Amino acid sequence: MISVLRKKSGEGSRTSNGARTSLLGLALSFPPLLLVLIFVGIPILIGLTFSFGFTHGPNRVISLIGQQIHVKNHWWGTFAAYSDVIHDSRFLGDLGLTIFVTALSTFLVIVMALAISIYQRLIGGKRASILVTLSIIPLFVPVVISAWAIHTFYGGDGFMRSIFSHIGINFPTLTSTPSAIVIGSVWTALPFSILMISSGMQAIPDVLIEAARDCGAPSQKIITNILIPLAKTPIIIAMSFTAIGILGSFTIPLFLGPNQPTMLGVEISNFFSSYNRPQQSLVMAFIVFVAASGIAVSYVWSNVKSARESGRI
Amino acid sequence: MVIFILGPIVWLAVHAFASNWQYPNLYPTGLTLHWWSQVFLDSALASAMKNSLITSPIVVICSMIICLPAAYAVGRIKFWGRRAFMIGIFSANSFPKIGLFAAIATLYYSLNLMGTFVGVIIIQLLGTIIYMTWIPAAAFAAVPRSLEEAARDAGASKFTVFRTITLRMAMPGILVAIVMSFLAAFDEAQGTYLVGAPAIYTMPTEMYSLVQNYPIQVAAVFSLLLALPSVLLLGLARKHIMGGQLADGFQLK
Repeated sequence: MISVLRKKSGEGSRTSNGARTSLLGLALSFPPLLLVLIFVGIPILIGLTFSFGFTHGPNRVISLIGQQIHVKNHWWGTFAAYSDVIHDSRFLGDLGLTIFVTALSTFLVIVMALAISIYQRLIGGKRASILVTLSIIPLFVPVVISAWAIHTFYGGDGFMRSIFSHIGINFPTLTSTPSAIVIGSVWTALPFSILMISSGMQAIPDVLIEAARDCGAPSQKIITNILIPLAKTPIIIAMSFTAIGILGSFTIPLFLGPNQPTMLGVEISNFFSSYNRPQQSLVMAFIVFVAASGIAVSYVWSNVKSARESGRI
Repeated sequence: MVIFILGPIVWLAVHAFASNWQYPNLYPTGLTLHWWSQVFLDSALASAMKNSLITSPIVVICSMIICLPAAYAVGRIKFWGRRAFMIGIFSANSFPKIGLFAAIATLYYSLNLMGTFVGVIIIQLLGTIIYMTWIPAAAFAAVPRSLEEAARDAGASKFTVFRTITLRMAMPGILVAIVMSFLAAFDEAQGTYLVGAPAIYTMPTEMYSLVQNYPIQVAAVFSLLLALPSVLLLGLARKHIMGGQLADGFQLK
């Protein structure tokens, strides 16, 4: 509908001042682009050269301060810092934990968001809207607080252990285990996925669901053949944002996770400040970035595909 | 579900008023306001609160000035590189924050931004860009052109049309973007700590040391104070966020 309107109104002005509006668009979008280029693009590029052993120019100060710095021995640099990281047994443990936590948490978030959204779409009512509102609350709680609250709640003298000890069960202390990272990640990531998926489900026309019901389709068929396929794009968006967020998370694993192995977000910070090995720290950041980019591509691809299907491109 | 979501928050909130709490009791030994006075009388904590309340609004206003025109352009003008712009902003956001801050530190040293107010503002600004461009862009794109044309036909000036129709209809989306940006700025701890410490502490960075050095009740009081602005904003924007403004913003069009 919007795209149709846009096409109609665009036709009149396109011929004479198409180039001018195009320039205007570029000019208006320049400030945020500049900010991102200077403070994200350039640091990342400089960091990339540093990780390959370019220790001069902007990398001079950090090369003097840091320890175990590898200097390039070819014109293109050196892989020494990468090889350090890959052969570090601690890194492998961290990587395993990061992948495990990201995969499990993303899976749980999507399953919970799907369950709540489907419940709201098919059954609805007051209870469903209370459930959705409840799940949105973590969006408004600063991460430091959520991490700390979950830390005390599942800790040695926390609520979970207290209440179970009253009925004679020894509930395990979850704080400082991978389980606590998963709980914390799910807790903080749930609102975004619920918002994405439930709004996707609400946009599905009633007619489709009613028609299927009239033909005698059971709820399960409606869910697998109508609701999930039609909400595919928001589901993939929710999935990729959740996974990228958890992959690079820092506060949640710092407060809730074990000291060793820990997630890569924490290890990047440890290597940078505690161990003073900035080169290895940046290498890890690039490894996480490559993984996150892989997920980001699936997000962009899903968006472009859905835009093409609905005729927007 | 109620226990999973609310349990940790309530548990922490009760600690803020507890004089003493012994495992495995389900309620504290006594209630007190002692911890609250301790927080307000502690000069380090008070200055962290002041810093947070100054920086976050400045970050949001800067973000609006820098990003809203771009959001309008992306939403309304079909210019070359529009999609690449959106994807660029998104991919900048998917680099692990902690690694980015480590990389930014190098640049900050050479620009003399380490430990400065401007440095902290820029760090927090980076986290708001994606909200301030994507959500308003979708909101601007959704304003029906026919309404604007009708107003123009009825004799309204271009500026009046923009103010009374375009801006007003896009307002819920902009409001959601403001709320999300404020939360992102207010919440930002890792970068602020790396760049600001030891000169500038905000509430979240103070929280890191608080957790290690103070009794749990003080951290609980501080958490409640830290959550206060968010709760106020929740009341303000809940309707629009649940109404799909946030969700619309994250679908590339």
